[in-house]
Amino acid sequence: MVSAMTDIQMMEDVRDGKVERLAVLFERHHVPLFNFFLRLTGSSNISEDLVQDVFYRILNYRHTYKGQSKFTTWMYQIARNTHIDYLRKKKEELPLDKQWNEALCTELSPDEKLEQGQDAILMREALAKLPLKKREVLILSRYQNLKYKEIAELLGCQIGTVKAHVHRAIKDLGKIYFELSGGTVS
Amino acid sequence: MTCQDIKEKFPDYLIGDLSQEEKAQMQNHIAACPSCRKELESLSAIWTKLGVLPEVQPETTLRTRFYTMLEDYKNDLGEEKPKTHLLEQIKTWFRPVWTGHPAFQLSFSLLFLFVGLIAGYFITGSRGQPAEISDLRQEVQSMRQTLAVSLLDQPSASERLRGVNLSVNTEKPDSGLIEALLNTLNTDSNINVRLAAVDALYLFYDFPLVKEGIAQTLSTQSSPLVQVALIDLIVNVRERRAIESLKNLIQTKTLHPDVKLYAELGLQKIGM
Ligand SMILES: [Zn+2]
Repeated sequence: MVSAMTDIQMMEDVRDGKVERLAVLFERHHVPLFNFFLRLTGSSNISEDLVQDVFYRILNYRHTYKGQSKFTTWMYQIARNTHIDYLRKKKEELPLDKQWNEALCTELSPDEKLEQGQDAILMREALAKLPLKKREVLILSRYQNLKYKEIAELLGCQIGTVKAHVHRAIKDLGKIYFELSGGTVS
Repeated sequence: MTCQDIKEKFPDYLIGDLSQEEKAQMQNHIAACPSCRKELESLSAIWTKLGVLPEVQPETTLRTRFYTMLEDYKNDLGEEKPKTHLLEQIKTWFRPVWTGHPAFQLSFSLLFLFVGLIAGYFITGSRGQPAEISDLRQEVQSMRQTLAVSLLDQPSASERLRGVNLSVNTEKPDSGLIEALLNTLNTDSNINVRLAAVDALYLFYDFPLVKEGIAQTLSTQSSPLVQVALIDLIVNVRERRAIESLKNLIQTKTLHPDVKLYAELGLQKIGM
């Protein structure tokens, strides 16, 4: 999106007290952010809660925004922490893989399944079976339009590590997808 | 280039982040190395396949929740304008109608935010260079006015109330808005809308148009409630012309005795 008021300017305004500017950032980014969580958790209810939580944190931590990195890098850093905190809270209740499967199973009605098509269902299931770390980098690079450099920044690791993770994640996802689809890759 | 070097660049290839030179190197290698070619093909296949997951639109409740939170946060910051305090004060005097509707108030605030937002997009979209903050502010203000004026014209009383309330948040009302408010005060069939218009005009009393309008309207208003509201307003601003109209009002034979008493008390207060 080409725009005169950049995200950074907007967020600096929010930091400096013009908190209503956050509305613009919300309008620009809440849908991708929602989808980030949806791909991570498989549940739209949980994802909506998490989006709300992220913007709440942005407001409360607005003073810490330095304006050095891209706004989205900062936002996804917060998003990631929000998700981790959510998992931590949930941890006592259910093992993680059960949670994801459960979320995925309860998520789609038969109609939705028809609508999304077999490919999408398989891919969602395959993604859900991918370990969290790999799933995270894959989603960030594939769907959230973040560069490896930005992902490295938000994860606090080397760019080479991110690339290696992505590479590994796609390979593993391919295997899982292959198994789920009954051994045929179309 | 070794196979290892090439494979390390696969992730860059997938997101299309290779220079022409690097791309050429990779193509040359792949043409000659079946193992790398096979790996890149299957990586690309999965990468493409990930595209089957559609982008999903969240429920509209997400937006509502966000704006509610933002509004709460703003209120906690105590960023309310002193104007509003004045208005609140007037309301508590003789208007329980308003205070019972916090949700209503909230929806106005949401409306402001949306208007601000639209204005923001409008500016950023149309100029292609950083908009000055004052420009943005002006834009929001002018959109508020336009919206307020158009709401004042709605058939539903609640919409007109919205319009009045929206105008209250205007910093520099133009004559169109003031005329619309005065027109509402003079002709609106709903008493709550008229009362709200009195409140709004109170805030814009510095404008000559308002002074004149208030002095005139006092003689035409028939509802005791609106009359009382106007008396309060005039007593508070102590404007000469309006005081004259107050004196005239007291002379009106059909005036409700309570209102008459109220007006006389008001005149006394001004004289004190
Ligand atoms: Zn090779």
